[in-house]
Amino acid sequence: MSSAHVTPGSVPGPKLAAHFASLEVQKHAARLGMWLFLATEILLFAGLFACYAAYRFLFPEAWAASSRSLDLTMGTINTVVLITSSFTAAMAVHYAKEGKNAMVGHMNVLTLLMAVGFLVIKFFEYKHKFHIGTLPGRYYFYEGIQLPGAPLYFTVYFASTALHALHVVIGMTVLAFATVRAYRVGDFNANNYTQVELGSMYWHLVDLVWIFLFPMLYLV
Amino acid sequence: MTPSSSIAAPGAVPGHEAHDDHGHHPSYLTDGTTVKSWLLTVDHKRIGIMYMVWVLLFFLVGGIFALLIRIELLTPGPTIMDAMTYNRVFTLHGVVMIFLFMIPAIPSIFGNFLLPLMLGAKDVAFPRLNLLSLYVYLAGAGFALWGMLNGGLDTGWTFYTPYSAHTTTTVAPVLFGAFIIGFSSILTGMNFIVTTHTMRAPGITWFKMPLMVWALYATSCIQVLATPVIGLLLLLVTAENLFSLGMFDVARGGDPVLFQHLFWFYSHPAVYIMVLPAFGVMSEIVSAFSRKNIFGYRAVAYSSLGIAFVGFFAWGHHMFVSGQSTFNAGVFGVLTMLVGVFTAIKVFNWVGTVYKGAVEFSTPFAYFCGFLFFTVFGGMTGIAVGTVSLDVPWHDTYFVVAHFHFIMVGATIMAFLAALHYWFPKMFGKMYHEGWGLVSAAFIILGFNATFIPQFLVGNAGMPRRYYEYPERFQALNVASTAGASLLAFGFIIIAVYLTYALIYGERVDNPWHSKGYEWLTMSPPPTHNFIGPQPTYPEEPHFYVDPKKAEGEVSDV
Amino acid sequence: MAIANESHQEEHNMQEHHGAGRYVVIWVVLLVLTLVTVFTGRMHLPSFGLLLALVIASVKGTLVALYFMHLSEHRGANRLVFGVSIAFVVLLIGFTLMDFGTRFRLANPPGSQYSDLQAVDIGANPTEGRTGGHQQIQKQGHEVHE
Repeated sequence: MSSAHVTPGSVPGPKLAAHFASLEVQKHAARLGMWLFLATEILLFAGLFACYAAYRFLFPEAWAASSRSLDLTMGTINTVVLITSSFTAAMAVHYAKEGKNAMVGHMNVLTLLMAVGFLVIKFFEYKHKFHIGTLPGRYYFYEGIQLPGAPLYFTVYFASTALHALHVVIGMTVLAFATVRAYRVGDFNANNYTQVELGSMYWHLVDLVWIFLFPMLYLV
Repeated sequence: MTPSSSIAAPGAVPGHEAHDDHGHHPSYLTDGTTVKSWLLTVDHKRIGIMYMVWVLLFFLVGGIFALLIRIELLTPGPTIMDAMTYNRVFTLHGVVMIFLFMIPAIPSIFGNFLLPLMLGAKDVAFPRLNLLSLYVYLAGAGFALWGMLNGGLDTGWTFYTPYSAHTTTTVAPVLFGAFIIGFSSILTGMNFIVTTHTMRAPGITWFKMPLMVWALYATSCIQVLATPVIGLLLLLVTAENLFSLGMFDVARGGDPVLFQHLFWFYSHPAVYIMVLPAFGVMSEIVSAFSRKNIFGYRAVAYSSLGIAFVGFFAWGHHMFVSGQSTFNAGVFGVLTMLVGVFTAIKVFNWVGTVYKGAVEFSTPFAYFCGFLFFTVFGGMTGIAVGTVSLDVPWHDTYFVVAHFHFIMVGATIMAFLAALHYWFPKMFGKMYHEGWGLVSAAFIILGFNATFIPQFLVGNAGMPRRYYEYPERFQALNVASTAGASLLAFGFIIIAVYLTYALIYGERVDNPWHSKGYEWLTMSPPPTHNFIGPQPTYPEEPHFYVDPKKAEGEVSDV
Repeated sequence: MAIANESHQEEHNMQEHHGAGRYVVIWVVLLVLTLVTVFTGRMHLPSFGLLLALVIASVKGTLVALYFMHLSEHRGANRLVFGVSIAFVVLLIGFTLMDFGTRFRLANPPGSQYSDLQAVDIGANPTEGRTGGHQQIQKQGHEVHE
């Protein structure tokens, strides 16, 4: 275990921007900035969670019935896929610290593949809903559930899953950059892994949001 | 850190030595003169100046809308426009003034310019994000302006559903523009928080930060925590307007009051995004112009955080008559009072600072006096309308309009103007004409009172806000208000003229106020990386004018 | 130089290199918890089903934040940011729900559990397009009687 603190300069590291006191401070700033950004993401989803909570509170029966019309198997598979992709993203940071750039690339490719898988499964779920008519608001035409509030459930469902899917795509873009760099440049090491770390943090947030969306939407 | 060689030693009159160096070290204004060197700069000072250009432009736009409203309300019937145009004009006045002027005004201009200087840093933590935030702001403004030119919207700046989901006016681009501007606000906030955490120079501990920094820090916390919620909400309403998804549609079980909850979760703290930086500016100015250490430094610093915190617990007071539960209304009403406590702490400390100070009554201090009156008056009426039983008759009348203009214009614009005058020499190294400064301050403070005190009266008499026509008996007060608005506009014109003149022909100065603020430790205008040579050291507290130990003999109660 | 110390400490913690084993353990725990929540979710527990699901989700979320996102190794400010953001989510949802729970019944959306008003008929009125009703949908006998 290379637990000793590496002094800047001994290992080729990232460039120190002129306005920072030291490399440590620079990394600290990057990390804090990322956490603040993730906080804004959490609050962004909080708005949807508030909508969910309010309408779940008002229409519990419609919520239960609608959630049962969802495909729990697909939802569970998606959860497993996303958690596993989060694991590989964490492993990418692990390998970046060890300087194994090829493994960083491999792990990120695995993550990206699982992200694509997630989106494909999501696509089939959406397709099914368009087919049977469990759609938001005025587009709702599903005969199976005719409880008040049912179209609202699907408004919340589509709004939150679509926003989440958008975040999956953004996260994939971020990870793709780190992947290309790991393969092409290969300069990640114990002193220089901020890019991998921040990308993976973003990906964990996408996972974190899904961890809450899954029981809320599929298991009420 | 190695001791500074070219920066004035602590205790000496700062800046003079640096001033001599001026020939060798170009200021940030002259370091690169091409258009590209401005547009692609990552220098926080240049970004602040660019923000200033745009924000002032939007202030002009919003001000023209305001004058149009006032001219329309001169007579009880139609005056210069039809009712639909009037609805659009007051909406656009609100949207432009809040999203394009008030929220970025002090943080993005003066915060950008001063925060690194006050922390002894070379730049903000993420200079490129800083530039990005400017362009994101402009992109959002572009969207919003495009929507305005293509018809504008008539929902009022609050975009309440269900009307905003059904109106045929151009809602979507303006909402989307406001959504984009939210990103700019978030980026600035993140940048400031990280800068405050990581970029403080050696010697500047948390409790040696200037109070402006505390205020900006608290503001940034609100920006980061609240803005995403309205971002999401604006997206939802845009989707609702374009595709009728039914999220807030009563016919499908949706609840428009939920929209208001989410809206005010941002928009009430947003009031403190507008007013906290103003408090920060005033804490700097009151100390500098009283030649006295700030009274109760920690109380002022903590109360900034306190206002930011309790500001989040008060949003329901905008919804007392909208169908919110009476229980919630009571809870929010009580929590609203807490804001008053923290604001009062600040006011008392400012007054305590002025007490027995050697006051120099120049333009920034004149604005401070106006500010103090408006903040107390606006704040007290805020407590009044925050009381459930009183709000019921006053809700949506001109009383509320006058109240929030007292805070937004009275506090924020006074502080904006005070900051503009106080830091004008810092930014440009030039001095404006003090006499004209006082004249325009008189115009603005009197004009402001003349505009909004009649609105308190007319609102108390029952005139609702946002109405196109009104009964004859309200006309006298409306005329008075319009007359006041013209005085106000006249004051702004004077300022524009003499500041432009000063920019070109102004006398070259370095620290005309002899201020001890950290930002004055470098030369005016500052060089590109803020300090020539090694970083200065900060052995003294900020706002350090009188040594309490030495002064003990002369003044017993400092 | 408090900040430098903080940066230094965080850097030091982050440099502490843990084996991949820890990630594997967390991963397995997350998968097990997912199965547990699916299992309990399928039981359709009457009153505390959602609560239980949210508790499990919170445990999972905490694990992800602490170990995958390294929050356990980060210091003051980062933890504070995360904690505060969660607190404000609770604040937003809490006050909003408090409103719905204590509201005058007629002010709640019609057809909801807490309203005495009849629901707007979601199967009817296809011409207006207000309810998403399709042509072939017959009216269902779901209307709540007043």
